[in-house]
Amino acid sequence: MKIRKTLTYILLGFWVAVNIFPIYFMFTFSLKSNEEIFGQNVIGLPKQWLWSNFTTALNTGNMALYFLNSILVTVASIVISIFAAMMATYAITRIRWKFSKLTNAFFMLGLTIPIQASIVPVYVVLSKLHWLNKYTTLIIPYSAFALSMAILICTGFMVEIPTALDEAARIDGCGIYGTFFKIILPLMKPAYSTVGVYSFLQCWNEFMFANVFISDSKHRTLPVGIKALSGQHTTDWGPIGAALVIATFPTLITYIFLSRKIQASFIAGAVKG
Amino acid sequence: MSANGMDKEKRKRRVHDGIAIFVFLLPALLLFISILIAPIAVSVYRSMYDWNGFSEGTFIGLDNYKELFTNGSIKFMVSLKNSMILAFFSVFVQLPFALLLALLLGRAPKGERFFLSVFFMPVLISTVVIGQLWLKIYNPDYGLLNRFLDFVHLENLKHVWVGEVKTALGSIIVPTIWQYVGYHMLLMYAGVKGVSTELREAAMLDGATFWQVDRYVVIPIIKPIIRVSVIFAVTGSLKTYDLVRILTEGGPFQSTEVPSTLLENMLFLRNRYGMGSTISVMLIALCFAFALLITAAFREKDNS
Amino acid sequence: MKMKRVVSTVLTGVMALSMIGCGSSETTSQTASTTTETKTETTAKVESTDAGQGEQIDLTMWCIATESDSNRHSYEAAIADMKEKYPNINFTWEAFENQSYKTKIKAAVSANEMPDIFFTWSCAFLGDFVEAGKVYCLDDAYQNYKSELPEVMLGNSTYDGKHYGVPLTMNIVGLFANMDLLKEVGYEDIPGTYDEFIACCDALKAKGIIPFGCAGKETWCVTEYLESVIEKSAGAATLNDIFLGKSTWNNKDVTDAVNTFQTLVKNGYFDPSGIGLTNDEVKNNFIAGKYAFYMNGTWNCADFASNEEFFPKVKVGEFPVINADKAKLGQLIGGPSDTLAVAASSPNAEKAAEYAFELGKLICHYGYLDGCGLPAWTPYGDTSTVNALTQKVAEIVAQADSMVLFGDTAMTADSANTYLSYVDQVYGCLLDGQQFTDGLAKDIQ
Repeated sequence: MKIRKTLTYILLGFWVAVNIFPIYFMFTFSLKSNEEIFGQNVIGLPKQWLWSNFTTALNTGNMALYFLNSILVTVASIVISIFAAMMATYAITRIRWKFSKLTNAFFMLGLTIPIQASIVPVYVVLSKLHWLNKYTTLIIPYSAFALSMAILICTGFMVEIPTALDEAARIDGCGIYGTFFKIILPLMKPAYSTVGVYSFLQCWNEFMFANVFISDSKHRTLPVGIKALSGQHTTDWGPIGAALVIATFPTLITYIFLSRKIQASFIAGAVKG
Repeated sequence: MSANGMDKEKRKRRVHDGIAIFVFLLPALLLFISILIAPIAVSVYRSMYDWNGFSEGTFIGLDNYKELFTNGSIKFMVSLKNSMILAFFSVFVQLPFALLLALLLGRAPKGERFFLSVFFMPVLISTVVIGQLWLKIYNPDYGLLNRFLDFVHLENLKHVWVGEVKTALGSIIVPTIWQYVGYHMLLMYAGVKGVSTELREAAMLDGATFWQVDRYVVIPIIKPIIRVSVIFAVTGSLKTYDLVRILTEGGPFQSTEVPSTLLENMLFLRNRYGMGSTISVMLIALCFAFALLITAAFREKDNS
Repeated sequence: MKMKRVVSTVLTGVMALSMIGCGSSETTSQTASTTTETKTETTAKVESTDAGQGEQIDLTMWCIATESDSNRHSYEAAIADMKEKYPNINFTWEAFENQSYKTKIKAAVSANEMPDIFFTWSCAFLGDFVEAGKVYCLDDAYQNYKSELPEVMLGNSTYDGKHYGVPLTMNIVGLFANMDLLKEVGYEDIPGTYDEFIACCDALKAKGIIPFGCAGKETWCVTEYLESVIEKSAGAATLNDIFLGKSTWNNKDVTDAVNTFQTLVKNGYFDPSGIGLTNDEVKNNFIAGKYAFYMNGTWNCADFASNEEFFPKVKVGEFPVINADKAKLGQLIGGPSDTLAVAASSPNAEKAAEYAFELGKLICHYGYLDGCGLPAWTPYGDTSTVNALTQKVAEIVAQADSMVLFGDTAMTADSANTYLSYVDQVYGCLLDGQQFTDGLAKDIQ
């Protein structure tokens, strides 16, 4: 019994180390000079804390702007996808009609369609419409690709709301629209955070669309910004490390504070989906 | 109320419902059709053209599809093989490990929360960041890995990790698996926690060991989640892009190309939009085929 | 002063051979209409060149001179001058990282959303846009600059006899050598013959010094070596004809040359860790003294010259002749490639054309002073401050016999990438010379 417990902890502990160490490594080399990294002090704490790496990343690398861009794009995409998904789910699950199942299946196609598949035509259309290099260039496709998952999750939550509530609302004189806004939306609150977590993971890390559709520096998101910075400083590790830290730590810190809530939402998605 | 009036009322209600359905579906349908469905149709159409993106294209039928497999410089087969290898490792290394972690944590050891939180952390980090970070680990001269091997006097194991044909694909696979173990673990953990404690305790009372409970009680119950994980892992492998772009750029000698990097090359390096569309169509077809296949495989197992 | 004379002779004389380049390729141009349209007003406009009056117009430019680009300073200096000269032109410009720029400019071309003036590579890259009728013809504007910009320099941006680009600088592939390392094995100069050169590499290898640094992650770096080997084995004319599609890749001399190149790889002259590195990293290694030789574009002169510690150690030379029956010294790889072009869709295309010429002249001037390459324009002013490396390059070019443009610039995008993919495989010893030439003959139509 004891041996097994120890083995369990050794395994778990090992995986903790494997997870934490790269993050620790990233943090320390973001504060070192090349001499220190290339010299003897590879993994130790920096001897000289070079905060100037962060100034470089923020100034020449423009990381603060890219961070804000990423937040803006992600939040907007999440909001749009949640709202569209709520409405669609309502129509599919709460109103009785012939093709509701089929419509649902149609949306579920999106779960397997790779985002890359639409990049050529979307790119051609967007460029013909002069719609490249705007925030909406990313927000619209991101929302669309988050949609299927969002509908899947919303369906899971919505079928748990008893239909008796709808009927009661109808009797009280609420129309279809009134029921949606007054009864369903408030009751769906737990679904918001779940959809939010999934959409966040999808949009925050997205690199291909961002790389292809955005070429001016004003609308770059973090992943593209980091790629650009590392292209300019290939041999200077400090500023790259600083950029990586800037891109990562705010999310990680938020996560640490909200980890229980975020995990709960994620798990809810898995169970409901 | 007369029967006639009831009918009228019904019809009115139906029209009213119809409008409501339309209104509620409109935003989702607009997004979905304009960004996903219509582009696929266009891709299928464009895949039959030789088109450089800005001048007139010429219709060439299925020639793009033929060329995809015959042109020695396009490497589509290599890219497929790489995706399959990636999928293999995801399904047979990453998922079992994720399941193991989920089961261990499902037994509520001390520090369950802590482990859960830490294991999920890499999922939140942007793949680009992870790519850059691992690039620093793999650097042939100053990278962590080679210097570690120096340190333990295993110099003969040193490699130009992302530059050698032998190791390049492996150095893409490792971070990919590393990053998403947490994702699958949390999905499975959700399932494991969903198994009622009574059921567990009942099994234990019957003299079953922890492993037997997991094997015969828990795993069958979380099968649907495992199925979803497998589908995600396989289609995810077909979609791989970020890490390849950053770690190897498809090199050395195009040995680590994946369909998505080929797609991008066609568009932006070679000006071949027609061929790019062809690759898109192949990708969609493959993703669907695998999703169906996996679902069927799980169903078969259930039946037997 | 001496420098100036050298370069002038270069410009008027020897370049002609390479310059036939793209001009002779059969491009069916659809831009004729845009040319005639604007012809009538050209003369009226020329007078206002130096005047500050006239209405304010906006001009935009895209280029690749980002903060870290060695050309950055010459662009900034040139644009500052231009602002003074043309106060009534509201000029804005943006610089993009090389790779993403290629995407961006193609997107802009297909969407007809180009800036008035844009940076482009000559030959095939610009050719695609010209063919699609998106580029403004510069024939009229060029009339005013004939005396300062020799027509041979326009060869790579001339299609169907019409000029579409303002060349900036020109570069060749140079053999850079770290003389400190060569001295360690007893060489006071870069070996002049191929046998000596190989002996030198062997001596270096025996001493534990890596002869060549080459970035395998960026295949164009491999072509800098490979193309020189092919040219010095099979001759410039052969290579040029193949690049321009006039003859096929199926050529015994080329096959042998590729095998020769592969022997260099197999002999371990190349840094094995180079295959996982980018060019910037390899260049840094060369500066740090890790390699004896580094074959790359002469635009590197600026970076080497600005490194005080490294500059005294480095020399530049020409790759030795391998097969004296077919090739000779003076056959080089390179030519003017960096170009400014004007969008046909620009509302102020004429003004933009004039502006592009003036700006190109200044960028070329400052770029030359900085050592970013040789000037495509006739140099003016005091050029004595040009660094010694660039001067040496000018000397090599002055004695040049013929030049073949970089393969990936000379070919269309699709062919170029097919070519690069095959080069990659040769470098990795996955293909031998025969398979290389056979494959390319099959896959490039």
